[in-house]
Amino acid sequence: MKRRLVSKQKRRIKNFNGQGKSKELRQEEKLISNYTKITAPKHFSFVEKPEETIKFINKLERLYLNNSSVFVNLKDITYLDYSAVTILVSVMFSFKTRNIKFNGNFPQNVDLAKLLINSDFFKYLNKPIGHKLEYALGKENQIFTRANKEVNSELGYMVMAEASTTIWGEKRTCKGLQRTLLELMQNTNNHADINKKGEKHWWLSVNHDKPNKKVSFIFIDYGVGIFESLKHKPNDNKWFGWFEKIKNRLIHGDNSEIFKLLLEGQMHLTVTGQHFRGKGLPGIREVLSRNQISSLRVISNNVFADVDNNNYIKLNEEFSGTFVSWELNEKNINIKWIA
Amino acid sequence: MDSIKIRVCDFSKTPGSRYRDEGKKAHSGQEFREDILEPNFKLAISSNQKVHVDLDGTIGYGTSWLEEVFGGIARVYGKQQVLSLLDFKSEEEDYLIDDIKQYIEDAEKQ
Repeated sequence: MKRRLVSKQKRRIKNFNGQGKSKELRQEEKLISNYTKITAPKHFSFVEKPEETIKFINKLERLYLNNSSVFVNLKDITYLDYSAVTILVSVMFSFKTRNIKFNGNFPQNVDLAKLLINSDFFKYLNKPIGHKLEYALGKENQIFTRANKEVNSELGYMVMAEASTTIWGEKRTCKGLQRTLLELMQNTNNHADINKKGEKHWWLSVNHDKPNKKVSFIFIDYGVGIFESLKHKPNDNKWFGWFEKIKNRLIHGDNSEIFKLLLEGQMHLTVTGQHFRGKGLPGIREVLSRNQISSLRVISNNVFADVDNNNYIKLNEEFSGTFVSWELNEKNINIKWIA
Repeated sequence: MDSIKIRVCDFSKTPGSRYRDEGKKAHSGQEFREDILEPNFKLAISSNQKVHVDLDGTIGYGTSWLEEVFGGIARVYGKQQVLSLLDFKSEEEDYLIDDIKQYIEDAEKQ
């Protein structure tokens, strides 16, 4: 009798809570009752709104570490770009590889929903993905995402053939593109985890803009980030004690200033006594200055660098990882396709 | 002096990582150095020839690959011998030759 009364009361409360709500909304509420709901930034772009996006990522990371199921509310977003799509896809895969439930709803804006559908975000939401070294999703020549822990130099061949066809109408060789991809993959493989090589996935998203004859690239890893990696260099590493060696060159001493020195190769020269010779991130900046790529932007730990415009900003939020975006367009240097 | 000619593109059009264990599709510098460059380098020493390395015909290089190949061989044979016996062709990326020579110069310091 008591049990029936309790369930009757529960039903009343449930019916009361459901009053005035559409069937879809009630279904959604039922679906997400076991999830922690997180609302995505309205203007969802890592490049344009890095601090808001990092806050969002950090909330997700805390839930991931607590093994909590997540429902991402995307309904009200008014802007979404490829940097945000890459984050959503990569975070979703991170949750699912740990068998943590991850779900979300469609943006009301049809164009934004379409962008997410093309990325295969929704396709994989309700699909087991297992533990793989490599993942490939999306559509070639549109938005295409790859994830791997290793250096895969063959990927550049396929990416280059497709990107150059979008831009120049035929396959062209873009050596700067391959240099950029290799330096980033090698960095993630070697440095994203302090203790072990090849522990972290990198994510590459390639997005074709045929009308404007350009292709944009996003590369992201959720490793320790550049500054944390530098902090943990062992005694016998040539970078050990780097801060002591460069501190006299700093005016403010914050990471944005250090990052500028790093990208310009000054830090390499001061700390190691050697020219950087194309290596790592300064090498990618060099690729930019040779006009082999365009629109290079980097976010790591608490720094945002708009490298083209020489704009280095200290952020109020800390991103654990490295995010790099760049473009390839008609004006970038290229040569005939290697047969 | 005659030369033994090596074209990197015959090894791979997509040279990639530094070490073999960094990827199954990585076409590493270690693999190129150990399997191709060093045997030819030994042959060049014994037959009083040079080794001519043609870097053209690939889709590009990462610096770890280049350092492992040319810095790596200098760590085995010494920079003087390597600089005197190796020469290069890189018409598609002329800056590579200066970089490689510097990797050889710096190799013993690493």
